[in-house]
Amino acid sequence: MRNAMGVELTAGEQALVECYQTLVRTLRERDDLPPFARRNGLKAVAALWQVVNGLDLDPGQLYDIGA
Amino acid sequence: MPESTYWNPRHETMPRDQIEALQTRKLKNLVAWTQASVPWHAARFSKAGVSADSIGGLKDLQRIPMMTRDEWMQAQLQSPPYGPLLAAPEEKAVRYHLTSGTTGRIPLQVLDGMKDWEWIAEMWCYGFWGFGVRPSDIVFFAFSYGTFVGFWGAHYACEKIGCLVLPGGNMTTEARVKQIMNMKATVVCSTPTYALRMAQEAKTMGVDLAAGPVKRLILSGEPAGSIPATKRLIEEEWGARAADTAGMTEVGTIMIFECSKQPGGTHIIEDHYIEEVVNPDTGEPVPYGEMGERLITSFGRGFIPVLRYRTRDLVVRVPASHCSCGRTFDLYEGGIRGRVDDMKLVRGTNVYPRAVEAIVREFKEIDEFRIRLYTADGRQDEIEVLVEIPGGDGAQTERILKNLSTSLSEAHEGLRFGVKKAEDGSLPRFELKAKRLQDDRIVIGTAGERRST
Repeated sequence: MRNAMGVELTAGEQALVECYQTLVRTLRERDDLPPFARRNGLKAVAALWQVVNGLDLDPGQLYDIGA
Repeated sequence: MPESTYWNPRHETMPRDQIEALQTRKLKNLVAWTQASVPWHAARFSKAGVSADSIGGLKDLQRIPMMTRDEWMQAQLQSPPYGPLLAAPEEKAVRYHLTSGTTGRIPLQVLDGMKDWEWIAEMWCYGFWGFGVRPSDIVFFAFSYGTFVGFWGAHYACEKIGCLVLPGGNMTTEARVKQIMNMKATVVCSTPTYALRMAQEAKTMGVDLAAGPVKRLILSGEPAGSIPATKRLIEEEWGARAADTAGMTEVGTIMIFECSKQPGGTHIIEDHYIEEVVNPDTGEPVPYGEMGERLITSFGRGFIPVLRYRTRDLVVRVPASHCSCGRTFDLYEGGIRGRVDDMKLVRGTNVYPRAVEAIVREFKEIDEFRIRLYTADGRQDEIEVLVEIPGGDGAQTERILKNLSTSLSEAHEGLRFGVKKAEDGSLPRFELKAKRLQDDRIVIGTAGERRST
């Protein structure tokens, strides 16, 4: 996996990016999450957004899902 | 893997051409987001012929219209409380803050979404980590935790880093000093003024701060953190190293920080901002080494996009090579030098409060001071500096007053400064931004009509 600057990400970085992508997809697509799961998921996404942004993957905005 | 001295090593050591490529890409994204979500900005872009597709390099930044505080304020007045500047629905926000406010001006009100608020802490992490703060640190915040954003982001940054955080809101200065000592705080965060105030209180209490646990001070909220004499005094009183930082509510967090090499300046967080320095009168860019007004474009808070915002801060930008830390982020030599509108003209001489403070702080015996401008006999502008010199005998006090008066005059083209002793404890103390200049001048020839500036 390469970032927007063409740099190959390390295995650890890629794992975090995949975690972020899974979380965003889950929060966007699932409506069966209880409040504690959705809100903690959003908190985690807000934190992982910083990782993805800092790795130069242009994560965009997250207001549509509440983060 | 050894611990990095940088928060984001890849970005903080990027060659200049890559930093610019990164900024160009982010600028394109920011313009696209802003154009699509904020009609107020979109109309301005359209008028200037700017679109995301037309951004091909950093030179295109200059085609984007500058934004002023007055425009922001007017927009809020027309459509309260936030103005037509929000890029997302209000109900998506998790945080509200407002500017600390200046007399006669309306505070700016801002909102943050969840990831914006995390980003605000992220910017502080660059500064704390860069100055050597680590998970083992115990960090005390001498901060009131109100609607002024101040150290809020710094608090969460320290939690993120893994420090033990001591929130020192709603406490007397004495209680704060006690807690710093009792809890063995290793880092203290405050304004430069309040760092001196706490040192003063500690002396009264018989506490030797310099022999205490504090190793680092993170200063913010006033330009004084980069005034060498003030900083030296703070470092001596605390027996600790002090780092300057500067932020603004308009972007929610800091944009510059001093690293552990203490180069006498503050690094710009260039992977999250584009900072320009322009002539405040013409708006034209000024080269490295020349003083100008800083303009900020932020890639952080998406809720209220900020592009080419005129900060009114005066800075001198120098290349990253002025610091030996290895970062490729440029610096503002001497941090924020003052405000474009701070300057006072007294009998034809420019007087900057920061320059006066730099001289006053050379006199360690002076605890507190105040600058007052007034009109003598309704005809002539005068400037006086009131100083508190606790414990000084008559002769020593007279000598300090005389020497200070001479130093101030020599630094201001011979302008006469009336330097007077104030009663101990009579001058105001400040926890947040210090306001040490009082302008009581009147319009000459009137019966006392106050000047507007």
